Amino acid sequence: MRGALVALPLLACVAACADKSDPPRQIAGADAARGLEVMEQVGCAACHVIPGVDWPRGLAGPSLEGFGDAPMIAGRFPNQPDVLTQWLIDAPSMSPETGMTAMPITDAEARDIAAYLYQLRD
Amino acid sequence: MKSETGFDPALYDRFPTKGERPEGELEELERIWCRPKGWGWVTAINNNFIGVYFVGAAMLFFCLAGILALLIRTQLAVPMNGFLPQETYNQIFTVHGTMMMFLFAVPAVEALGVVLLPQMLGARDLPFPRLGAYAFWAYLVGGLAFFSSLFFGLAPNGGWFMYPPLTSMTYSPGINADFWLLGIGFIEISAIAGAIEIIVGVLRNRAPGMTLDKLPVFAWAMLIFAVMIIIAFPSVILATTLMELERVFGWPFFDALKGGDPLLWQHLFWFFGHPEVYIIFLPAAGATSTIIAVVAGAKLVGHRMVVLAMLATGFISFGVWSHHMFTTGMPTISTSFFSAASMAVSIPAGVQVFAWIATLAAGRLKVSTPALFAVGGLTIFVMGGLTGVMVAMVPFDWQAHDSYFIVAHLHYVLIGGMVFPFFAALYYWMPMSSARPLSERWGRWVFWLMFWGMHITFLPMHLVGLMGMPRRVYTYLPDRGWDVINLVTTVGAFLFGLAVLLWIIDMARNFRPFGDREAGNVFGGPGLEWIPTGLYSVRSIPVVKSLYPLWDDPQLSKDVVAGRYFLPNSATGERETLVVSALNAEPQYLQRMPVPGVWHVLAAVLTAAAFLLLTVQAYWPALVGAVGAVLCMMRWCWDLDRPRVADMVDIGAGIMAPTYVSGPRSHGWWAMVITLVVAGMILLLNAFSYVFLWSRDPGAWGSPPPMMATALLVAGYVGAAGLGWLSCKALALDRARSPVIATGLMVLATGLLCVVTYSDIQAWLGAGLRPSTNAQGATVASLLVWQGSLTGITGLMGVYALLRLVFGHVEARRPSTFQLIALFLGYTAGQGVFGVLLTHLFPGS
Amino acid sequence: MTEAVPGTSGWPPPVLDPAGPFAGPLNTLAWVLFGMGFLVLVVVLIALGVALFGPRKWRQRLGGETLVWAGGLAFPIVVLSALLIYGLGLTTHLTPDPEPGEMRVRVTGEMWWWRVAYLDDQGREAWQDANEVHIPVGSTVVLELDSADVIHSVWVPRLSGKVDMIPGRRNYMRIQADEPGVYGGQCAEYCGGPHALMGFVVVAHEPEAYAAWAARQATPVQTAALPSPGAEVFDRAGCGACHAVRGTEFNGLAGPDLSRVGARRTIGAGILPNNEGTLGGWISDSQSIKPGNRMPAYPVLTGQELRDVSAWLKGLQ
Repeated sequence: MRGALVALPLLACVAACADKSDPPRQIAGADAARGLEVMEQVGCAACHVIPGVDWPRGLAGPSLEGFGDAPMIAGRFPNQPDVLTQWLIDAPSMSPETGMTAMPITDAEARDIAAYLYQLRD
Repeated sequence: MKSETGFDPALYDRFPTKGERPEGELEELERIWCRPKGWGWVTAINNNFIGVYFVGAAMLFFCLAGILALLIRTQLAVPMNGFLPQETYNQIFTVHGTMMMFLFAVPAVEALGVVLLPQMLGARDLPFPRLGAYAFWAYLVGGLAFFSSLFFGLAPNGGWFMYPPLTSMTYSPGINADFWLLGIGFIEISAIAGAIEIIVGVLRNRAPGMTLDKLPVFAWAMLIFAVMIIIAFPSVILATTLMELERVFGWPFFDALKGGDPLLWQHLFWFFGHPEVYIIFLPAAGATSTIIAVVAGAKLVGHRMVVLAMLATGFISFGVWSHHMFTTGMPTISTSFFSAASMAVSIPAGVQVFAWIATLAAGRLKVSTPALFAVGGLTIFVMGGLTGVMVAMVPFDWQAHDSYFIVAHLHYVLIGGMVFPFFAALYYWMPMSSARPLSERWGRWVFWLMFWGMHITFLPMHLVGLMGMPRRVYTYLPDRGWDVINLVTTVGAFLFGLAVLLWIIDMARNFRPFGDREAGNVFGGPGLEWIPTGLYSVRSIPVVKSLYPLWDDPQLSKDVVAGRYFLPNSATGERETLVVSALNAEPQYLQRMPVPGVWHVLAAVLTAAAFLLLTVQAYWPALVGAVGAVLCMMRWCWDLDRPRVADMVDIGAGIMAPTYVSGPRSHGWWAMVITLVVAGMILLLNAFSYVFLWSRDPGAWGSPPPMMATALLVAGYVGAAGLGWLSCKALALDRARSPVIATGLMVLATGLLCVVTYSDIQAWLGAGLRPSTNAQGATVASLLVWQGSLTGITGLMGVYALLRLVFGHVEARRPSTFQLIALFLGYTAGQGVFGVLLTHLFPGS
Repeated sequence: MTEAVPGTSGWPPPVLDPAGPFAGPLNTLAWVLFGMGFLVLVVVLIALGVALFGPRKWRQRLGGETLVWAGGLAFPIVVLSALLIYGLGLTTHLTPDPEPGEMRVRVTGEMWWWRVAYLDDQGREAWQDANEVHIPVGSTVVLELDSADVIHSVWVPRLSGKVDMIPGRRNYMRIQADEPGVYGGQCAEYCGGPHALMGFVVVAHEPEAYAAWAARQATPVQTAALPSPGAEVFDRAGCGACHAVRGTEFNGLAGPDLSRVGARRTIGAGILPNNEGTLGGWISDSQSIKPGNRMPAYPVLTGQELRDVSAWLKGLQ
């Protein structure tokens, strides 16, 4: 049963959840936990690797690991809460060549998502 | 009591003999049955060695398959886990199931039989020790190769029951499936070899006086187990052969596009697969019956009922296979029958459970590790049996089938019905082969960890099945409420793993086999196996007068060790044991036993190599291996019919017995008949496939060869069998030229058989039959392939007979070889006639 | 947590939460069986407990063949016979032969999705859909089950037990929902590769709503909607080789019919919510979402093309 000894720590790794100690960038009134739920409902992970979402881990868009520390959105817009919120709702209007579609979410939901994304620090 | 063989039971009164045995007798026994040296460990054939190797290998595979189980549980611990890739997972769960069933469960109980039976029956060894050793080596080499396929990503990935068309060439183009088909098919041959050994051993190698009503319950279980193997395993051998033929040559047995039917596989597989469950369970139940009586300190309550229950289980279990197919759209009338039979099979299980409880009540439980495992296994088995009754209800099965409810059910049945009793048996009988028993303190830890680990793992699985989780999923979506249950299950699996780990450590600390000393009768068992033994088994073979000999006759052990019973010495100066009549166990003759050798080992390794090379499509090396294996087997057979020694010898107390017997009384004849039953089962199932596929599409069936050909073929087959019979008659005349004439007739007979089989094939080709075009072609061809294979073996036997003549081994005083060849030839001819009549006359033109 | 795919929650256990007359009796049977199992287990455990720890007198009473006769033979024969009669009654009640006039939907299992064809009164195919079966509430629907490749098994636990799809054979399965709603299902017979991710849903509508839905499905896609950038991308990327859009030149048969793909609840066979974003992700690289599925990745599409084709597909409702 040597396999048991090997597999036990692996199991522990798998079960552990990400634990971020840095205080996240604040967005007034937004709920990061709710943002994660919305992302799972609309399926953002079909295109992005998103920490906290086990599946899917889509590769069509960039990974969102460490997004909270990224200086830019899509490489050309400053990574600020209001810009991000607008981008989440209707990215094509800001950048016609992007593959990111307009998403069926409300302004409040977009702010929740933004709050979650800002928790993702390296 | 009426005598069965003419042996006078009054002769038993001569035992125990009086006085001291002569000097040097014991030393001679020790010399003859001496411990192997150096490489001799490989050539050993004595059950004291092979049996222990066998159990060890089975436990090795148990641990390997258990590691796979832990990998599976790690992957499923959380939803959408990336621990194992999809393809790896699919291979791992397939190999886990396959190994647990084919490489652990069946060989493990068979191994237990090989270790225990000779001592338990009071024999020096089982009747075909080299066959047993061959079965072991073939199993070890084949099993290790099968497991290794995982490391190359070549392991099968179709689930342990390998349903086509998923496993057909179209959907599984790699050689992964071939590893399963050839590897497992081959290992089944080894299981059958072991079963032949056990049947003949239990029926013919008992201590004198051990009539069937004094046969220990474990030996009964092993006997029924072995008979069930003989009837059930041919089905999986045929199924794997058909699948391999379809994969390689495109013969459509299961391919619906060309007239085959995927359900044919399911019928063949489960006709084997369900009896398999009871094949595993019965020996374990036999062990439980033995152990419960000992730990309770009371004779088994309802011994006869328990034996009858086991017989009933064996019988009914052949009528339940379709309960694995309730969701395939079978007609209600069939599902009702199989549902009723599946419920009925639980009744004999209930009889056994209540007999155990009654025995515990009749005595007083003395707590020990074997006691815990036996009682714990009983409760787990009852729970598995109850969910079994649930899924036997067709409408409930529609929901439970292929869900985790079934995964839970089958693990409860198999772990409660086989694994726990097996551990009980390991702890209970360990002192018989080891100088030290296993630790009781560690044993408690092993038991409780395993008991709770088992429940924590599998109890929640029932619920997650009802929550909709199908089996064989490599992952599951996060939002279905299955997460917590799966995590708990994984924790339980690791507790179970920890228990096995503790057991392994304790084995390393205390297991000391092959020594001069045994720990002895630690638990106070009543069976002959607790008489102190050497490598020669018992010093003398006792007369058995009771079902519990050591409890009923406290002197017995001492008298046996003092050599006061049958065969206190070596009557011929060779390895030997007593052969008795099947019902009343009256001594019939002295069997001269084989000595260690390399040929069976080489034959096993070469057979395994041939199958593996075939798997990786190295056809020429495979052929070389196969030819080598055949030569080794011929060389091994060469010593079976040895020149005779003294005709009659003293087997103890002045009782004389022959040293050579041929015909239906001989153990060789019995083994051949059982082998032919295996062949006959393959034939019958082949015929079933033929009729089954015909019923699917009668319109596609073409015309058979003309009636003239039918008549000629039948005449030819009958003629070949007649010549074989004449050959035996000629030899029996015992004239100067008898050996030459007999050999000539036998060669002629085998030659004629080859010609007729060839004509049989040609007749079908002439009638326009092409195996790959439709199901008729495929099934007729498979019948012909089977006929051709047996004919080929008969041809080799003809060559063998000729060689025997050249080397002067054909004589009227030793007719066994010729009799057995004639028997085999007669069967093959009869099978040919059956095949011709079936395929030519049904359904007709 | 909310469900990405509606109707697939594990609680209450769908087997024990029937939503129609073909699952209801199975639920009743399940509880009867649980009751039986519990009862027998308690009897055995009590007997075992007495045998192990009971007073001497009690133990003596148990320690004979009477117990084996009573507990091992009589008790199970009575319990099992009663169960069998009850259970067999259910079987015949639940599996009558198909009758003329019943609504039929042909569901074909494919590696690893479901082709769904709605049949008209003559049993001809009216239109195709995938991975969803829509039914009107309150009427019995017969599913004709076929397989295109290997054995699959349809399981919608809240509506019925499972029935296998076997190549060369046709099986039937009846479902009926008493309430409108979405009922999750999954392939139950191991079919290789991503078998684990082969889900689907049954959507039950009120009869009027169903009629409206069916009428819309039956009409081909408006060709006027065609000259769009998304359709051009669809054409250029060769999507039409595998996928059909009724009323257009795209008539591939290997993959799911996309005529009304925008209206489906899910994509990827019951595993992802359906919106422009997830469609884009699926088209761009479905292999990272459902490894082993038959659709190749299309990394060559630019962001704009991906959005165009997703928007066009989402618009096919």
